[in-house]
Amino acid sequence: MKILRDNELYSLVVLLMFLAVIPQFLSTYNVRLLSVGLLYGLAAVGFNILYGYTGLISFGHAMFWSAGAYGLAIGLVKLNLDPVLSILLAFTLTFIIAVVTGYLSLKHTEIYFAMLTLAFAQLIYALIIKLRDITGGDEGIYGIPRFPPDIEQYYYLVYMIVALLVLLAWWIVRTPLGLGFQAVRDNPYRAEALGMDVRRVRLISFVLSAFYLSVAGILYAPLNRAITPDIAFWTFSAIIVIMTIIGGSKNMFGAFIGGLIFIYINTQAMNLTEFWQLTLGIILALLVYLAPYGVVGIFDRVVEYVRGRR
Amino acid sequence: MDINLFIVQFFNALFFASILFLISSGLSLIYGIMKILNLAHGALYMLGAYVTFTVAILWLGMSWYSMLLAYLASILVVAGLGIFIERVLLKPLYNKPQDLQLLLTFALIFILDDIVKMIWGAQYRAFPKIPGWSIPVGDYQIPIYFILTVFIAIGVGLFLHWFFTRTTYGKMVRAISYSLETSSILGINTDRLFALSFALGAGLAGLAGGVAVPLYTASPGMGGDAIVLSFAVIVIGGMGSILGAFVGSLIVGFSRVFMAILFPVFEIALIYVIMAVILMFRPTGLFGMEMRERR
Repeated sequence: MKILRDNELYSLVVLLMFLAVIPQFLSTYNVRLLSVGLLYGLAAVGFNILYGYTGLISFGHAMFWSAGAYGLAIGLVKLNLDPVLSILLAFTLTFIIAVVTGYLSLKHTEIYFAMLTLAFAQLIYALIIKLRDITGGDEGIYGIPRFPPDIEQYYYLVYMIVALLVLLAWWIVRTPLGLGFQAVRDNPYRAEALGMDVRRVRLISFVLSAFYLSVAGILYAPLNRAITPDIAFWTFSAIIVIMTIIGGSKNMFGAFIGGLIFIYINTQAMNLTEFWQLTLGIILALLVYLAPYGVVGIFDRVVEYVRGRR
Repeated sequence: MDINLFIVQFFNALFFASILFLISSGLSLIYGIMKILNLAHGALYMLGAYVTFTVAILWLGMSWYSMLLAYLASILVVAGLGIFIERVLLKPLYNKPQDLQLLLTFALIFILDDIVKMIWGAQYRAFPKIPGWSIPVGDYQIPIYFILTVFIAIGVGLFLHWFFTRTTYGKMVRAISYSLETSSILGINTDRLFALSFALGAGLAGLAGGVAVPLYTASPGMGGDAIVLSFAVIVIGGMGSILGAFVGSLIVGFSRVFMAILFPVFEIALIYVIMAVILMFRPTGLFGMEMRERR
């Protein structure tokens, strides 16, 4: 069976098994960080549906993470809704924003598309800052309840959802729909000539990718117990792009591990020195030269080397 | 609205627009010529602010003379850093995927933010007072410094126009932005001109920081807001166009300052609405050319 020879699936399964066991050996603080890592990984995977597989670079994906996080927090804290309705609110919000901004941004591709998504994301940021009554403005929203409250149990909740969605992403890009994304990425004119509605395929990819970011945001808000507008600022959109690139946009494993690696480097840098930004920046810069195709690029080279030796 | 307040806010908007023009003309120039979106441009602006603060306040004591020296220092330091960034860091990436340039300039934001913290500490650095006297308008004051800044911005705009249309270097740089390949076949040293363009763009960011710092306090991370507003400016005006950066700065400057008084909820939002609408219907901006991928 072909599926048994898929290196990417093997890598994903091994990594996910590792992530299932590792919290047993970590402190509560580190389990919390690892949960954030899972969510960053999920965000990178979602972003990669659009970026690596559909060939569109969005500079505004922070808006979907924020739509999820703020949707849930507003539902739970400001409107006192029950969790199910709050999640529904978050999804509705994400869906509306994704369809509208996606439809409008996809008038263009490449840099114009990137700039349009940036404009919409900053617009949402500006509204979050100014609509104090709903969003809490600069201060954000505090006291978001977490269920289950225990951090390790919450980790496993996050883990299950993330594992499921990451494997789903692996599967989606192999379905006819996913192959459609790649056809549009590789040659939109040919895809069009073959009868595909290119803009619609891109829009589906955009909304699907937004859904992933939204789930990550929805899980992030209770994990952190508080959210601030930082998660809607352009720098966070940039971080989503950056972690996908450092992991490797070639496949979903690369994107997922990119999120985990980013959190790991970030945490280590913060623990090591007061000047963690400098450390993080230097490591990112070094990765540009040492691993231009991301961490999976290094894996591939190692695999090739080993095979070459045999 | 009270007419005096209107006048004051008018000059306020002009000042803000002038700063934006200085930042975004450099950003636009670098993009237009090298097709690099320099995310660290805001960080260079921040560095310019700190250098001017150091020279004018900490070293020399505030006077017009020291302000002038401080501006020069800002331009030189930041342009020098620009040459280093272009020659050492960006040059090896020209034949690689463009995402890597993006990643690198983003990493530079982290690095520069912390270097500034190392040298100047994390606290805000404010001028004790705005240089020069003020013109009273009713109950309000308009600092003469605002008007000087507007003249600096106009001067820089005219200089850039002269440079790109009248000097050999400027013409060669424009040739590169049309077609890198043809230009190098015709014997233009594209390598050196890339360094020159990046240094010029970075120097403008340095000057912008220097001019802004007496009003806008220097702080680590002050570049984050500046860069994204500059994106709005160059998208509205047209990437790679100096005239576009000029008009874009005025639009962004005025809409922000006047929205802050009239409809505070849309203070920042309106800018991005304009940006999005322009991109949708006229993606090349008001004065831009068709953008091409670099070969």
